[in-house]
Amino acid sequence: MRLQTLKSIIEKKNNKSEFAIITNLKTGESEIFENDNPLSKELEAYSDQINEFFKSKKNGVIENTEIFVETYVLPIKVIVVGAVHIAQYLVDFAKSLNFEISIIDPRGYFASEQRFPDMKIINKWPDEAFKEIKTNENTALVALTHDPKIDDPALQHALKKKFYYIGALGSKKTHENRCQRLKEAGFSDEQIKSIYGPIGIKLGGRSAPEIALSIIAQLVSETYNKK
Amino acid sequence: MKNSFDEKILEEAHDWVNADQKVVLATVIQTWGSSPRQVGSRMIVNEKGDFSGSVSGGCVESAVVRECIGLIKDNKPCKKIEFKVSNESAWEVGLACGGEIAVYLEQIN
Repeated sequence: MRLQTLKSIIEKKNNKSEFAIITNLKTGESEIFENDNPLSKELEAYSDQINEFFKSKKNGVIENTEIFVETYVLPIKVIVVGAVHIAQYLVDFAKSLNFEISIIDPRGYFASEQRFPDMKIINKWPDEAFKEIKTNENTALVALTHDPKIDDPALQHALKKKFYYIGALGSKKTHENRCQRLKEAGFSDEQIKSIYGPIGIKLGGRSAPEIALSIIAQLVSETYNKK
Repeated sequence: MKNSFDEKILEEAHDWVNADQKVVLATVIQTWGSSPRQVGSRMIVNEKGDFSGSVSGGCVESAVVRECIGLIKDNKPCKKIEFKVSNESAWEVGLACGGEIAVYLEQIN
Protein backbone atom coordinates (compact mmCIF):
# COMPACT_ATOMS: atom_id res chain seq x y z
CA MET A 1 0.00 0.00 0.00
CA ARG A 2 1.23 3.42 -0.88
CA LEU A 3 1.75 5.81 2.02
CA GLN A 4 -0.48 8.30 0.21
CA THR A 5 -3.34 5.77 0.15
CA LEU A 6 -2.85 5.07 3.86
CA LYS A 7 -3.04 8.80 4.58
CA SER A 8 -6.24 9.18 2.52
CA ILE A 9 -7.85 6.26 4.34
CA ILE A 10 -7.12 7.82 7.73
CA GLU A 11 -8.42 11.16 6.52
CA LYS A 12 -11.63 9.57 5.23
CA LYS A 13 -12.12 7.75 8.52
CA ASN A 14 -11.71 11.04 10.39
CA ASN A 15 -14.21 12.72 8.07
CA LYS A 16 -16.68 9.92 8.77
CA SER A 17 -17.15 8.96 5.17
CA GLU A 18 -18.15 5.55 3.90
CA PHE A 19 -15.69 3.93 1.49
CA ALA A 20 -13.93 0.72 0.49
CA ILE A 21 -10.32 -0.16 -0.23
CA ILE A 22 -9.82 -2.30 -3.31
CA THR A 23 -6.51 -4.15 -3.47
CA ASN A 24 -5.08 -5.99 -6.45
CA LEU A 25 -3.43 -8.90 -4.63
CA LYS A 26 -1.13 -9.62 -7.58
CA THR A 27 0.50 -6.21 -7.70
CA GLY A 28 -0.19 -4.87 -4.20
CA GLU A 29 -1.71 -1.73 -5.72
CA SER A 30 -4.78 -0.43 -3.92
CA GLU A 31 -7.31 2.30 -4.54
CA ILE A 32 -10.13 3.90 -2.60
CA PHE A 33 -13.69 3.33 -3.77
CA GLU A 34 -16.49 5.75 -2.95
CA ASN A 35 -20.11 5.79 -4.00
CA ASP A 36 -19.90 8.57 -6.55
CA ASN A 37 -16.34 8.12 -7.75
CA PRO A 38 -15.59 6.14 -10.90
CA LEU A 39 -13.26 3.14 -10.61
CA SER A 40 -9.95 2.94 -12.40
CA LYS A 41 -9.97 1.26 -15.82
CA GLU A 42 -8.34 -1.81 -14.41
CA LEU A 43 -11.19 -2.37 -11.95
CA GLU A 44 -14.12 -1.16 -14.06
CA ALA A 45 -15.00 -4.68 -15.14
CA TYR A 46 -15.61 -5.66 -11.52
CA SER A 47 -17.78 -2.72 -10.55
CA ASP A 48 -20.90 -4.87 -9.99
CA GLN A 49 -19.13 -7.18 -7.57
CA ILE A 50 -17.40 -4.28 -5.81
CA ASN A 51 -20.74 -2.50 -5.39
CA GLU A 52 -22.25 -5.65 -3.97
CA PHE A 53 -19.53 -5.89 -1.30
CA PHE A 54 -19.89 -2.17 -0.60
CA LYS A 55 -23.66 -2.28 -0.19
CA SER A 56 -23.66 -5.35 2.04
CA LYS A 57 -20.72 -3.97 4.06
CA LYS A 58 -18.69 -7.11 3.55
CA ASN A 59 -14.99 -7.77 3.18
CA GLY A 60 -13.58 -10.43 0.91
CA VAL A 61 -11.88 -11.56 -2.27
CA ILE A 62 -14.06 -11.31 -5.39
CA GLU A 63 -14.66 -14.86 -6.60
CA ASN A 64 -12.20 -16.17 -9.19
CA THR A 65 -10.14 -12.99 -9.03
CA GLU A 66 -7.19 -11.59 -7.14
CA ILE A 67 -9.11 -8.55 -5.95
CA PHE A 68 -9.74 -7.91 -2.26
CA VAL A 69 -12.46 -5.54 -1.10
CA GLU A 70 -12.50 -4.06 2.38
CA THR A 71 -15.41 -1.83 3.34
CA TYR A 72 -15.36 0.84 5.99
CA VAL A 73 -18.63 1.50 7.76
CA LEU A 74 -19.53 4.67 9.56
CA PRO A 75 -19.27 4.68 13.32
CA ILE A 76 -22.53 4.27 15.20
CA LYS A 77 -23.74 7.49 16.76
CA VAL A 78 -24.43 7.22 20.47
CA ILE A 79 -26.05 10.18 22.17
CA VAL A 80 -25.51 10.32 25.91
CA VAL A 81 -27.78 12.58 27.90
CA GLY A 82 -26.08 13.56 31.14
CA ALA A 83 -22.38 14.39 31.46
CA VAL A 84 -22.28 12.33 34.65
CA HIS A 85 -19.59 10.07 36.14
CA ILE A 86 -20.84 7.00 34.21
CA ALA A 87 -20.57 8.98 30.96
CA GLN A 88 -16.85 9.52 31.58
CA TYR A 89 -16.31 5.74 31.61
CA LEU A 90 -18.58 5.25 28.59
CA VAL A 91 -16.31 7.57 26.65
CA ASP A 92 -13.30 5.47 27.71
CA PHE A 93 -14.90 2.17 26.67
CA ALA A 94 -16.10 3.59 23.36
CA LYS A 95 -12.53 4.47 22.33
CA SER A 96 -11.78 0.94 21.15
CA LEU A 97 -15.26 0.50 19.66
CA ASN A 98 -16.83 1.96 16.57
CA PHE A 99 -19.12 4.24 18.57
CA GLU A 100 -19.09 7.99 18.18
CA ILE A 101 -20.35 9.55 21.39
CA SER A 102 -21.99 12.98 21.70
CA ILE A 103 -22.95 14.23 25.14
CA ILE A 104 -25.88 16.51 25.90
CA ASP A 105 -26.17 18.24 29.26
CA PRO A 106 -27.70 21.65 29.92
CA ARG A 107 -25.96 21.88 33.30
CA GLY A 108 -22.75 23.87 32.87
CA TYR A 109 -20.75 22.34 35.71
CA PHE A 110 -21.31 18.83 34.36
CA ALA A 111 -20.56 19.62 30.73
CA SER A 112 -17.17 21.18 31.44
CA GLU A 113 -14.34 20.48 29.03
CA GLN A 114 -12.07 19.47 31.87
CA ARG A 115 -14.29 16.52 32.72
CA PHE A 116 -14.49 15.45 29.06
CA PRO A 117 -11.36 16.44 27.16
CA ASP A 118 -11.65 16.21 23.34
CA MET A 119 -15.34 15.39 23.54
CA LYS A 120 -18.26 16.90 21.73
CA ILE A 121 -20.48 18.21 24.54
CA ILE A 122 -23.63 20.13 23.76
CA ASN A 123 -24.41 22.39 26.69
CA LYS A 124 -28.11 22.79 25.84
CA TRP A 125 -31.48 21.29 26.65
CA PRO A 126 -32.20 18.15 24.56
CA ASP A 127 -34.81 19.80 22.29
CA GLU A 128 -32.28 22.46 21.29
CA ALA A 129 -29.33 20.06 21.21
CA PHE A 130 -31.00 17.62 18.81
CA LYS A 131 -31.21 20.41 16.24
CA GLU A 132 -27.41 20.21 16.02
CA ILE A 133 -27.11 16.44 15.63
CA LYS A 134 -28.13 14.40 12.62
CA THR A 135 -29.91 11.31 13.90
CA ASN A 136 -31.61 8.34 12.27
CA GLU A 137 -32.56 4.72 12.87
CA ASN A 138 -28.89 3.83 13.31
CA THR A 139 -28.54 6.13 16.31
CA ALA A 140 -28.54 5.05 19.96
CA LEU A 141 -29.62 7.02 23.04
CA VAL A 142 -28.29 6.53 26.54
CA ALA A 143 -30.19 8.68 29.05
CA LEU A 144 -28.26 9.02 32.29
CA THR A 145 -29.55 12.00 34.27
CA HIS A 146 -32.70 10.25 35.66
CA ASP A 147 -34.09 13.77 35.84
CA PRO A 148 -37.38 13.84 33.88
CA LYS A 149 -36.81 17.45 32.84
CA ILE A 150 -33.68 16.43 30.93
CA ASP A 151 -34.19 12.74 30.07
CA ASP A 152 -37.84 12.78 28.98
CA PRO A 153 -37.56 15.16 26.01
CA ALA A 154 -34.56 13.15 24.77
CA LEU A 155 -36.41 9.84 25.15
CA GLN A 156 -39.41 11.26 23.30
CA HIS A 157 -37.17 12.44 20.46
CA ALA A 158 -35.47 9.03 20.24
CA LEU A 159 -38.80 7.16 20.19
CA LYS A 160 -40.17 9.40 17.44
CA LYS A 161 -37.02 9.02 15.36
CA LYS A 162 -36.96 5.23 15.97
CA PHE A 163 -33.42 4.99 17.36
CA TYR A 164 -32.25 1.35 17.28
CA TYR A 165 -31.29 1.43 20.93
CA ILE A 166 -32.80 3.52 23.72
CA GLY A 167 -31.72 3.01 27.32
CA ALA A 168 -32.51 4.97 30.45
CA LEU A 169 -30.80 4.88 33.83
CA GLY A 170 -32.86 4.60 37.00
CA SER A 171 -34.36 2.09 39.41
CA LYS A 172 -37.39 -0.03 38.52
CA LYS A 173 -39.57 2.47 40.33
CA THR A 174 -38.03 5.42 38.47
CA HIS A 175 -38.56 3.56 35.22
CA GLU A 176 -42.21 2.78 36.03
CA ASN A 177 -42.87 6.46 36.61
CA ARG A 178 -41.05 7.30 33.40
CA CYS A 179 -43.16 4.81 31.43
CA GLN A 180 -46.31 6.33 32.91
CA ARG A 181 -45.25 9.83 31.83
CA LEU A 182 -44.50 8.62 28.30
CA LYS A 183 -47.89 6.92 28.15
CA GLU A 184 -49.56 10.16 29.15
CA ALA A 185 -47.55 11.89 26.45
CA GLY A 186 -49.20 9.60 23.91
CA PHE A 187 -46.60 6.89 23.28
CA SER A 188 -47.78 3.32 22.70
CA ASP A 189 -47.01 0.41 25.02
CA GLU A 190 -44.90 -1.13 22.28
CA GLN A 191 -42.81 2.01 21.94
CA ILE A 192 -42.38 2.32 25.70
CA LYS A 193 -41.40 -1.34 26.03
CA SER A 194 -38.60 -0.83 23.52
CA ILE A 195 -36.74 1.30 26.08
CA TYR A 196 -34.12 -0.56 28.09
CA GLY A 197 -34.84 0.43 31.66
CA PRO A 198 -33.22 -0.05 34.06
CA ILE A 199 -30.40 0.28 31.53
CA GLY A 200 -27.60 -2.27 30.99
CA ILE A 201 -27.14 -6.01 31.29
CA LYS A 202 -27.05 -7.47 34.80
CA LEU A 203 -23.48 -7.61 36.01
CA GLY A 204 -24.16 -6.96 39.67
CA GLY A 205 -21.81 -4.01 40.11
CA ARG A 206 -23.03 -0.57 41.10
CA SER A 207 -19.96 1.60 40.61
CA ALA A 208 -19.73 4.05 37.70
CA PRO A 209 -17.27 1.98 35.59
CA GLU A 210 -19.26 -1.20 36.21
CA ILE A 211 -22.53 0.42 35.14
CA ALA A 212 -20.78 1.91 32.10
CA LEU A 213 -19.51 -1.58 31.19
CA SER A 214 -23.00 -3.07 31.52
CA ILE A 215 -24.42 -0.32 29.27
CA ILE A 216 -21.75 -0.68 26.62
CA ALA A 217 -22.20 -4.49 26.67
CA GLN A 218 -25.92 -4.09 26.04
CA LEU A 219 -25.23 -1.58 23.29
CA VAL A 220 -22.82 -3.93 21.48
CA SER A 221 -25.22 -6.84 21.85
CA GLU A 222 -28.15 -4.85 20.43
CA THR A 223 -25.99 -3.50 17.61
CA TYR A 224 -25.42 -7.08 16.41
CA ASN A 225 -28.98 -8.18 17.16
CA LYS A 226 -30.79 -5.49 15.30
CA LYS A 227 -28.53 -4.72 12.40
CA MET B 1 -23.48 -1.61 9.78
CA LYS B 2 -22.65 -4.73 11.69
CA ASN B 3 -19.46 -3.38 13.07
CA SER B 4 -19.00 -2.14 16.56
CA PHE B 5 -15.22 -2.13 16.65
CA ASP B 6 -12.46 0.01 15.24
CA GLU B 7 -8.95 -1.16 15.92
CA LYS B 8 -7.14 1.90 14.62
CA ILE B 9 -4.32 -0.25 13.24
CA LEU B 10 -3.92 1.90 10.13
CA GLU B 11 -3.51 4.99 12.30
CA GLU B 12 -0.80 3.16 14.23
CA ALA B 13 0.86 2.09 10.97
CA HIS B 14 0.99 5.74 9.96
CA ASP B 15 2.64 6.66 13.28
CA TRP B 16 5.26 3.95 12.75
CA VAL B 17 6.03 5.17 9.24
CA ASN B 18 6.38 8.70 10.59
CA ALA B 19 8.89 7.34 13.10
CA ASP B 20 10.99 6.12 10.14
CA GLN B 21 10.13 2.48 10.59
CA LYS B 22 9.58 0.05 7.75
CA VAL B 23 6.06 -1.28 8.06
CA VAL B 24 4.31 -4.33 6.63
CA LEU B 25 0.54 -4.55 6.77
CA ALA B 26 -0.85 -8.08 7.23
CA THR B 27 -4.56 -8.55 6.48
CA VAL B 28 -6.78 -11.62 6.76
CA ILE B 29 -8.27 -11.85 3.25
CA GLN B 30 -9.92 -15.28 3.33
CA THR B 31 -11.04 -17.76 5.95
CA TRP B 32 -12.34 -21.32 5.78
CA GLY B 33 -13.92 -23.25 8.65
CA SER B 34 -13.69 -21.90 12.18
CA SER B 35 -11.06 -19.23 12.07
CA PRO B 36 -10.40 -16.97 15.02
CA ARG B 37 -10.52 -13.59 13.30
CA GLN B 38 -12.75 -12.32 10.56
CA VAL B 39 -11.78 -11.17 7.07
CA GLY B 40 -10.30 -7.67 7.25
CA SER B 41 -8.53 -8.22 10.59
CA ARG B 42 -5.11 -6.66 10.60
CA MET B 43 -1.70 -6.54 12.18
CA ILE B 44 1.38 -4.46 11.43
CA VAL B 45 5.00 -5.50 11.73
CA ASN B 46 8.21 -3.46 11.55
CA GLU B 47 11.73 -4.44 10.53
CA LYS B 48 12.66 -5.26 14.14
CA GLY B 49 9.73 -7.65 14.53
CA ASP B 50 7.63 -5.39 16.76
CA PHE B 51 3.98 -6.03 15.98
CA SER B 52 0.54 -4.71 16.84
CA GLY B 53 -2.95 -6.04 16.15
CA SER B 54 -3.73 -9.65 15.24
CA VAL B 55 -4.69 -11.99 12.42
CA SER B 56 -5.53 -14.96 14.64
CA GLY B 57 -5.87 -15.69 18.34
CA GLY B 58 -2.11 -15.75 18.76
CA CYS B 59 -1.72 -18.98 16.76
CA VAL B 60 0.15 -17.76 13.69
CA GLU B 61 1.39 -14.29 14.61
CA SER B 62 4.99 -15.35 15.13
CA ALA B 63 5.12 -16.89 11.67
CA VAL B 64 3.56 -13.75 10.20
CA VAL B 65 6.21 -11.61 11.92
CA ARG B 66 8.98 -13.78 10.37
CA GLU B 67 7.40 -13.54 6.92
CA CYS B 68 7.05 -9.78 7.23
CA ILE B 69 10.68 -9.32 8.23
CA GLY B 70 11.61 -11.47 5.20
CA LEU B 71 9.50 -9.26 2.93
CA ILE B 72 11.30 -6.15 4.19
CA LYS B 73 14.75 -7.77 3.79
CA ASP B 74 14.00 -8.97 0.25
CA ASN B 75 12.33 -5.62 -0.50
CA LYS B 76 9.27 -7.28 -2.04
CA PRO B 77 5.99 -5.33 -2.27
CA CYS B 78 3.55 -8.07 -1.32
CA LYS B 79 2.95 -11.75 -0.63
CA LYS B 80 0.07 -14.07 0.19
CA ILE B 81 0.49 -16.78 2.83
CA GLU B 82 -1.90 -19.47 3.98
CA PHE B 83 -2.18 -21.25 7.31
CA LYS B 84 -3.94 -24.55 7.77
CA VAL B 85 -4.92 -26.79 10.66
CA SER B 86 -1.92 -27.27 12.92
CA ASN B 87 -0.29 -30.60 12.36
CA GLU B 88 0.77 -33.23 14.86
CA SER B 89 4.14 -31.68 15.52
CA ALA B 90 3.60 -29.35 18.44
CA TRP B 91 6.20 -26.86 17.21
CA GLU B 92 4.62 -26.35 13.84
CA VAL B 93 2.79 -23.08 13.48
CA GLY B 94 -0.87 -23.56 12.65
CA LEU B 95 -4.39 -22.96 13.74
CA ALA B 96 -5.36 -25.16 16.66
CA CYS B 97 -9.01 -24.30 16.00
CA GLY B 98 -9.07 -26.32 12.79
CA GLY B 99 -9.68 -23.41 10.45
CA GLU B 100 -7.70 -22.05 7.54
CA ILE B 101 -6.79 -18.47 6.80
CA ALA B 102 -5.09 -16.57 4.01
CA VAL B 103 -3.09 -13.53 5.06
CA TYR B 104 -1.94 -10.85 2.64
CA LEU B 105 1.28 -9.01 3.42
CA GLU B 106 2.09 -5.67 1.83
CA GLN B 107 4.79 -3.13 2.50
CA ILE B 108 3.79 0.48 3.02
CA ASN B 109 5.90 2.54 0.67
